[in-house]
Amino acid sequence: MMEFSRTPSLIMHLDLNSCFATIEQQSNPLLRGRPIAVAAYTTANGCILAPSIEAKKMGVKTGFRVSEGKALCPRLVILPPDPPKYRYVHLKLRRLLEKYSPVVAPKSIDEFILDFSGQSLPQNNLFLVGRDIKFQIKKHIGEWLTASIGLGPNRFLAKVASNLKKPDGLEEINYLNFADIYASLTLPDLHGINQRLTARLSSRGIYTVTDFYRASLPQLRSVFHSINGYYWYLRLRGYEIDNIDFGRKSFGNMYSLPKHHIAAANLAPILHKLVEKMSFRLRSSGYQARGLFLGLLYTNGTFWHYRRSYHRYLFASDDIYRAAFSLLLKSGLTLPVANLAVSAFDLIKNTAVQLDLFNSVSRSLQLSSALDNINRRYGHFVISPASMISSVSLVPDRIGFGNIGDLTEFVIS
Amino acid sequence: MKVFSPVSVISSYNHCLRTVSPRKILWNGREYLITSTGLHHTYRQGRTLFHVFSVVANRTFFRLTLNTDNLFWQLDEIDDGI
Repeated sequence: MMEFSRTPSLIMHLDLNSCFATIEQQSNPLLRGRPIAVAAYTTANGCILAPSIEAKKMGVKTGFRVSEGKALCPRLVILPPDPPKYRYVHLKLRRLLEKYSPVVAPKSIDEFILDFSGQSLPQNNLFLVGRDIKFQIKKHIGEWLTASIGLGPNRFLAKVASNLKKPDGLEEINYLNFADIYASLTLPDLHGINQRLTARLSSRGIYTVTDFYRASLPQLRSVFHSINGYYWYLRLRGYEIDNIDFGRKSFGNMYSLPKHHIAAANLAPILHKLVEKMSFRLRSSGYQARGLFLGLLYTNGTFWHYRRSYHRYLFASDDIYRAAFSLLLKSGLTLPVANLAVSAFDLIKNTAVQLDLFNSVSRSLQLSSALDNINRRYGHFVISPASMISSVSLVPDRIGFGNIGDLTEFVIS
Repeated sequence: MKVFSPVSVISSYNHCLRTVSPRKILWNGREYLITSTGLHHTYRQGRTLFHVFSVVANRTFFRLTLNTDNLFWQLDEIDDGI
């Protein structure tokens, strides 16, 4: 059996605790020490995105409805999200972390990985670095903000270590203490192991993290039926296999409808706005797409989706909307729609696109670019399709879980 | 409570710390002396840069926005914490 890696713990995982909620408490000192939660909507059915540390202590969890949170904690203060504020703190934190390591990889709006490999640091120094980062966050970003920091020989174990003590932890997993730590964890504590995988592991006699670690490679292959078995074998032994940047694969936007619609005429303005937002981001990043995906979540919990590839690359909002609307009509719309998602895939950089003989593509590209420049200068949707008018107040700005792209337009003083 | 109304603000610039902070708000015929700044962040709307100051004065929270195109202040929000 392969031994646990003796590589020093040079990977640091930093997680801003209860990110959105603590940023709100930083912003408004009157909310500090009180149970608060940031919710997608402040109405009873709104989904709680981030409860504060005080709210978590009272049992409020991410994903609860506002009404459930209020039932557990009647004094819970509910706030709507303020994405520019969170992006600003994210960028300021990224700037601060870049002073410590040349390799800083944001994993989400509130998570960063710092790689200290190749830097001449005695091991203990990373604890000092961790403490200094916490101090500098309080000094330069906000005194109410706390971060949990984990150190490990690979990214996976650094993240596990960051979850060992919350809030404000600073923990390490290495070849000396991994066995004790594994014994204290359950399978769902491991990032990437959900209830379905827990059940599958249990069906093969793997009930604990220690069992998982001790499992042989053939045993793991039989559980996962893929290369993932080998990846878990290495991950749990401290070997790095997660430092791969897969690059941008798609652009998408999703929206939970406040009012559930069944008619295509009612869904069209919302779809148009989703497409406008998505295609603006696609073009701003210099991409075109040859594939389109449309997903509908019906009110009864069933899901309809369709993906289609096209012969030509799409980039103009109108073209993408026409394609997306024809996919919408394919669905048949048998039930009211609760959630609408659209995404563009099979991407290619603008520079790699074949020129057309009659120049129509380049003219369309120039028109899209001119419209984008006007919207960039005077604000999003200053110029927008007339059919989108009824959706002006819908599809507000949001931060997706794990999505930290498109931050370049924001500035730090 | 969302307000979104023009407001008079006295601010100061500290060249040593390189910081600007609002000091006093005159709104609705009353004067509020700012005691602390929770967060100062920025965002853009088109090309216009806005500076947002989340401040507290006398147990009242104010969210103030400075439009850097015209240097006008706006009171976005007020909250007495109750």
